[in-house]
Amino acid sequence: MASFIQLLISGLATGAIYALIAVGFTLLWQTSQTINFAQGEFVMLPAFFVLAAMNWGAPFWLAALIGIAAALVVLGLLFKLIVVDPMLRYGVLPLVISTIALSLLLKESVKDFYSAQAQAFPPLVPDADVHLFGAVVSTQSLVVLGVAIATVAALHLWLNKTRTGRSMQATAQNPALARILGIPVQRMVLYTFLVNAVLVAIASILISPIYLAKFTNGETLGTAAFIAAIIGGFNQVRGAILGGIILGVLDNLSAAYLSSQYRGAFPLLILIAVILCRPQGLLGRVEERTV
Amino acid sequence: MDGREPLLMLDRVFAGYGKMTILNGTTASIRPAAITTVIGPNGAGKSTMFKAVFGLLPVRSGTIVFDGRDISNLPPRALLDAGIVYIPQGRNIFPELSVRHNLELGGVALSRQAEIARRIEAVMRRFPMLQEKADQQASTLSGGQQKILEVARGLLLKPKLVLIDEPSIGLSPLMVRDVFAILKDLRNNGVTVLLIEQNAKQALQISDYGLVLEQGQTRIEAAAPQILADPRIAQLFLGGGLLQPEQVS
Ligand SMILES: Nc1ncnc2c1ncn2[C@@H]1O[C@H](COP(=O)(O)OP(=O)(O)OP(=O)(O)O)[C@@H](O)[C@H]1O
Ligand SMILES: [Mg+2]
Repeated sequence: MASFIQLLISGLATGAIYALIAVGFTLLWQTSQTINFAQGEFVMLPAFFVLAAMNWGAPFWLAALIGIAAALVVLGLLFKLIVVDPMLRYGVLPLVISTIALSLLLKESVKDFYSAQAQAFPPLVPDADVHLFGAVVSTQSLVVLGVAIATVAALHLWLNKTRTGRSMQATAQNPALARILGIPVQRMVLYTFLVNAVLVAIASILISPIYLAKFTNGETLGTAAFIAAIIGGFNQVRGAILGGIILGVLDNLSAAYLSSQYRGAFPLLILIAVILCRPQGLLGRVEERTV
Repeated sequence: MDGREPLLMLDRVFAGYGKMTILNGTTASIRPAAITTVIGPNGAGKSTMFKAVFGLLPVRSGTIVFDGRDISNLPPRALLDAGIVYIPQGRNIFPELSVRHNLELGGVALSRQAEIARRIEAVMRRFPMLQEKADQQASTLSGGQQKILEVARGLLLKPKLVLIDEPSIGLSPLMVRDVFAILKDLRNNGVTVLLIEQNAKQALQISDYGLVLEQGQTRIEAAAPQILADPRIAQLFLGGGLLQPEQVS
C-alpha cells in the first residue's frame, strides 16, 4: 500500500507534466490546426536556455525566468511567424512536415552547440523525503505536482474568467464564427502560441531535474503528449489534462507492477483501446462546424 | 416602392471560390426597414452572396454599397462597426461556453465593458429564455433556442442590417414561427433584414420584398406578394430555370 501511494504520487507528478505539454499541444491544434510534432523538443529546449543563463552567472530563479522569456520569443512568437504562418497557407500537411523538420533541427542544434551529454539540472527544491499516509514521498514529486496544478489552475482561471480568455476559447471552438463576431482571431491565435511556450518552459523546468537535460528528451515527451491529447479527445483542454494524468499514473504503475520491459508499449495499448472504443477521445466532442 | 434610398446595394458583383465564379454580376437594392427574402435553387449562390457582403469572400469586381459607403472587401470587424451582422446557416454557437458568455462575445466589437453588460441585460429581458438558461452551457439549448441565442447575440450591436441564412433549417414549425416573429419585430423597429430561406413561401409571407437568384444572377427583384403570385416561381422550385420562360405553360 505504501509503495502504491508512492508510485501514485510520482505517477501523478509525471502525469501533470504530460498534461501541461498536452494542453499546449491541444490549444495549438484547436486555434490553428497546428499539429506540433516538435512539441517534445519544445520541452527539451528551455532547460538549455536556463542552463545557458546560469553559465552566464545568473542565479537559478533568474535563469528560469530568462528561460521562460526566451521560450516565449523563440517557441511562441518566432515559431508562429517563421514556421506556422508561412506553411499553413499550403495546408496542414506541409506544416506537419515542417514541425518534424523543426524537431530535428532543435535536437541537432542542442547537440552541436551545447552538448551531447546529459546535463545536471537544478531542482526547484532540495531533494528530501517526506512521509505521507505512511509512504515515503520525495519533495520533488510534490513540488512538481504543486507547480503543475497551479499552472493549469491559472490557465483555467484565465481562460474562463477573463474576456480575453473566453475569446481565446471561442477562437479554439470555432474560429470561423469568432471572426464573424469580430473577435481578433489572429491575436488570439498568437496568444495560444505564447501560452504553449510558457507551458512547455514550465514543463521543461519541472522535468529536467528528474530526467537530466538531454537533447533526446523530446522523443518520449512528444509522444506522451500526443497520446495524452488523443486519449483525452484532441479538441478539449480538459481532455488533455485527463489524458496526461492517466498516462503518467498508468506508466508508473505498470512499470512497477507489470514489467518495465513493456512500459513503452503501455501508452500505445491505451491509445489503441481508446481509439477503438471512443474515437473522439474520453472527453472529446464530435466536431461539427458549419461555417 | 417607397422613395427611400436602398440601405444595401450590390452592383454587378463577381465572386467565387478558386477558379469557380459563383456570383456572376449579382445586382440588388435592399430597402431599409424591410424584410427581403432571397430565394433560388440550391447552389444558386445565395449563401455566397452573404459571404461576399460580409467580407468573407473577396469581391473580384463590382461594388457593394452600404448606407452610402463602399464596403466591398472590408473585413467582418469593419462591417460590424458599420452596422451589419451576419448569422450563417447551421449552428453558430460556442457549445462549451455558457449562454451568457456566448451573448457577451457578440459584443466584442463594442469597446465599453459596462455597455456590453447593459445590453446583455436588455437582450435577456427581451428573451427571458436566455435569462433562465444564462449560466448553462450553450450546447444544452434546443436547436430553436440556439437560433434565438444567435439572433439575440447579433442584436447586441444594435445593427442596421441583419443577414440571416436559412434560420428555419432543422427547427420545428412552432420554432420557425417564433423566429420569423422575431424577424418581423426587428423590421417593425426599423432594422433591415435580409433573409435566405428554402422555405420560400412561408418566408415571403412575412417579407416585404423578394429577390430571386439563379446561377449567381438576380432574376427577379420585386414586392413579396408579387413574387408569391408569380407563376414562374413555382416552376423554378420544381427544378426548371428562369432562362427559358417559354417553357412556362
Ligand atoms: N467553400 C466553398 N468552396 C468551394 N465551392 C463552394 C464553397 N461553398 C459553396 N461552394 C459552391 O458554390 C456554389 C454556390 O453555393 P452557395 O452555398 O452559395 O449556394 P446556395 O444558393 O446558398 O445553395 P443552398 O440552397 O444549397 O444553400 C455551389 O455550387 C457550391 O458547391
Ligand atoms: Mg446556402
